[in-house]
Parts: sequence; C-alpha cells; structure tokens
Amino acid sequence: MTALAPRTERQLPIPVRPRRIAVRLAWGVAAVIFIGSFWGLDLDWAKLWGLPSDAARYLGLMFSDPDWSKLPEALFQTWRSVSMAWVGALVGVVFSTLLGIPAAEGAGPMWVRLPLRWFFAVIRAIPEVIIAIIILTVTGLTPFTGALALAIGGIGTHAKWTYETIEAAPTGTAEAVTAAGGNLLQVVRWGLWPSAAPELMSLSLYRFEINVRTSAILGLIGVGGIGDMLTGYTQYRDWSTVGMLIIVVIVVTMAIDAVSGRIRRRIMEGAKVRDLDRIV
Amino acid sequence: MAETLVLPPKPRSWPRIAMVVAALAAMTVLTTIPALGGVELDFGAIARNWSNGAERIGMLFTPDWSILPRTWQPMLETLSMAVVGTGIAAAASIPLSLWAARPTNPNGVTRRAVRFVLNVVRAVPDLVYATILVAMVGVGTLPGVITLVLFDIGIVVKLVSEAIDSADSAYMEAGHAAGGTQPQINKVAALPQSWPVMASQVLYSLELNVRISAILGLVGAGGIGRLIDEVRGFYRYDALSTIILEILIVVLLIEVLSNYLRKRLR
Repeated sequence: MTALAPRTERQLPIPVRPRRIAVRLAWGVAAVIFIGSFWGLDLDWAKLWGLPSDAARYLGLMFSDPDWSKLPEALFQTWRSVSMAWVGALVGVVFSTLLGIPAAEGAGPMWVRLPLRWFFAVIRAIPEVIIAIIILTVTGLTPFTGALALAIGGIGTHAKWTYETIEAAPTGTAEAVTAAGGNLLQVVRWGLWPSAAPELMSLSLYRFEINVRTSAILGLIGVGGIGDMLTGYTQYRDWSTVGMLIIVVIVVTMAIDAVSGRIRRRIMEGAKVRDLDRIV
Repeated sequence: MAETLVLPPKPRSWPRIAMVVAALAAMTVLTTIPALGGVELDFGAIARNWSNGAERIGMLFTPDWSILPRTWQPMLETLSMAVVGTGIAAAASIPLSLWAARPTNPNGVTRRAVRFVLNVVRAVPDLVYATILVAMVGVGTLPGVITLVLFDIGIVVKLVSEAIDSADSAYMEAGHAAGGTQPQINKVAALPQSWPVMASQVLYSLELNVRISAILGLVGAGGIGRLIDEVRGFYRYDALSTIILEILIVVLLIEVLSNYLRKRLR
C-alpha cells in the first residue's frame, strides 16, 4: 500500500482589485456637487431638527380624527379631477398617436421626424402647471383648461413612447406590406398597428394613471378638482379636513392604479387560460 | 380538378371590440357631464376669450430678457434643491429597495409593509406634499427638498426593487449555497448587481426633480417657481416666456447629461 503523497498547498494570488479611477473621480464630483448644493440652500437647521416632532404633531392633527362631514363634496371634486385626467388622456393620446407615428423611424421621412421629436422634447420639458398657466388666458379657470393642459403635456411623453414602441415592433410585416405595394397608410394599418397596438393601449392607460396624479396638482392653480379643495383647506389650516382629503386622494389613486394595472396586464399578457382541459 | 383553398373563418372579435368601445364611450360621457363633476367641454369660452387671451399668449413670442439677471439665483436654488433631494433619496433608497424586493428580503411581512407604505407615499402627488409641508414648516426650500425626497424614494425604490425581483439571481443563490446570511448575500451579491439600475433610476429622478422643483415655488416651496408665480400674477407673459425658455434649456441640458451618464453605466 503506497502512502498518499502529501498534498502540496498551492496558493493562488488573489487578483488585484481593478483600480477604477474614473469611477472614484465621478463619485468625488457628485459628492462635491451635493455638498455645494446643500450649503447653497441655506436650510433652516432649527426647523430641520424640529421636523420629526412637527411631522408627528401634524400627522396626528390630520389623521387622528379626520373630518368626514365634507366627504360628498370631496368625492364630487375627486370625480372632477378624474374627469380632467380622463379627457386629458383621451385627447392627448389621440394627438400623440397621430403625431407619434410619422415620428417613428421607417414611417416618416427625416425632415418630418426630427422637428416632431424636437417638438415632443420641448413639451416634455415644460411642466403641465405652466402649460395650464399659459392657456388659461384663453380657456379660463375651468376644469376644461386642466384637461387641455394634461392633453398638451401628455403629447410630450406619450408621442415619444408611441414612436419608440413602433420602432421596437418587428419590421417583417411592415416590409411585407411595402413589398405588396402598400402605401404609407396601409403600412401603418396592416404592418405596424397590429404589433404595436397592445403596448400603445397599455401606455395610454398608464398615461391616465399619471394624469390622475397630475390633475390633483393642477387644482392648485385653481382649475378645480380635489387639488383646489385641498389648497383651500390647507390655507385655512383645517387639518382634520385636510387629513380626510388626503385619505380620499390616496384611496382613489391606489384604486385607479390597481384597476388600470389589471387591465394593462390583461392587454399585454392576454386572457388567462381557464378551461384548458376543455380545449385539450 | 382544381384544388381550392378555403379561407379560414375570421375570428369573431367584434363583440369584444364593441364592449371595449362601449366602456370607453361610457367613461367619456360620464367624465364630460358637468352636473356629475365632469369637465364641461366649453369651446364657446375659447372663442369668447380668444382676442384677449391670444394677445397675452402672443407676448410669449417676444421674451423680455430684462428679467434674466433676476432668474439666476432662483434657478440655482431650483437646481440645488433637485440635487439635494436626489442625493438624500438615493441614500435612503438603498436599504428600502433591498427591503422591498423578494430575493433580498424573504420575510413576506416586512416586505409587504414596506411596499404598502411606499405605495401610499407614491399615491400623493408632489405638489400636494409641498402645499401641506409649506403650511407645516413655513415658506422656503425645506418643504421643497422634503417633497422631492418623498417623491424620489417612491419611484426609485419601486423601479429598483422590481429590477432586483426580475434580475438573474444566480449570484445570490451561490451566496446561499456557500452558507451566507441574508445581509452578507445582499452586500456582496445583490447590491453590486443592482448598482447600475439604481444609478440609472437616480439620474432619471434627478431629471424629474429639476422639472418638479421648477414649479414647487408656485406653492411657496422655493426655487424659480416663486418668480413664475410673481410674473403670472401681473400677466407678464413676456417675462414668463424668458423663464420658461430658461427652464427648457436647463431641463434639456440635464436630460442630455443624464442620458450620457446612463449610457456610460451600461
């Protein structure tokens, strides 16, 4: 019987950590910018330290005993906000689709695409509130103004999503339609639309969800809706009513998100196969 | 005998389409009845106000550059608020994202609790936070920064935790197999893996922050919005135009910068 040879210990050197000077440098720059901004803000330290106790006190004022007596009014105003969101989404999506399709590569020529994309980028950069401020001289301080501001603001993002979706869609069918002699309209209808439609519908619903949040904000400049009511009662410092309004906003927003999210999943993933055994 | 091909029957999709169209139409009708709280589609008002309003909107095309020197300081404040808000939110998002994702927090109770709280935080619109915070702590940049932090945590944690959920968990499994505890696995596997996503979302939230902090001033939470509120009160649309152009340029610059950095991250 031969003895086993003693195992030789082989030491593998641990690889050297890669030195990533660029990353460190980036961190350094970010830190300097952050600290610089922080000091530049000149925050009130006394208030900052008192913040936790203040927050607890106000949260108590708002939510310990919410005043439910104005709930009917709150629900009416909520529906007004939701209406602004819906009308805004609808109008916005229609225009975004009309403008977004020619902005997609393969659908429109270069001289159409570039100006359109710039136009979308410009709208994206302007907050909806400012759009509302601009157009309210013509449309007045009405919910209609809110809906129009949401519609115009929506074009910025939704049209971008539209052309990105169309560009991401498989091009085979579009080529086939072109090969069969289809014109631009036919290419869009039979080549691009069927593959892009589910995604576009899902994004439209998502736009509605975003609008529900934004429409509450638009109320702050006075176009009506739950935001209007909230500003009013906050200025009166009627905290128990403010608490009730916030609860309404949260519940309604989450409910709409949940329903819309389910519909979106249904659109994107198709129906659940329930009676599989019957088919097989 | 000639072979004939029978076309397959068209799938019957019209009942479903009809149902969807009916639902959309019903919703549209319900949202346009003023008595219910809906939006009154008042095109007549546009026609009536046109001459008056169009003149003011026309002022937008003749920007008044004299206001420009007054905008530097508030604009810097807006950018500072955006940076500080993003920074604080990014730091807070690291533990919260790990808490809210399944692979990094197997405990269902705490995970659902964190997610629920964040859903609630996300359901409140940004300017609503700002309005209430201004009433609480007073006019200034502090309520603005807090608003941005709350808003950013909401979106960054949601997007990052979803990314962790759907990420390839091979490294984390290896960590489990080697007998690592959950905090150890999170530190050496989950965190390094999610850095790029997190950094990308943080940059995205910085973009959004610049847009939001530009209007926070409308409710008294600091930044260039304060100036917007002032000039809009006097219907100085020529000055408003200058401010909007400035915001536009800053937002587009930040977007370009952030897109460049995000490309480098990949």
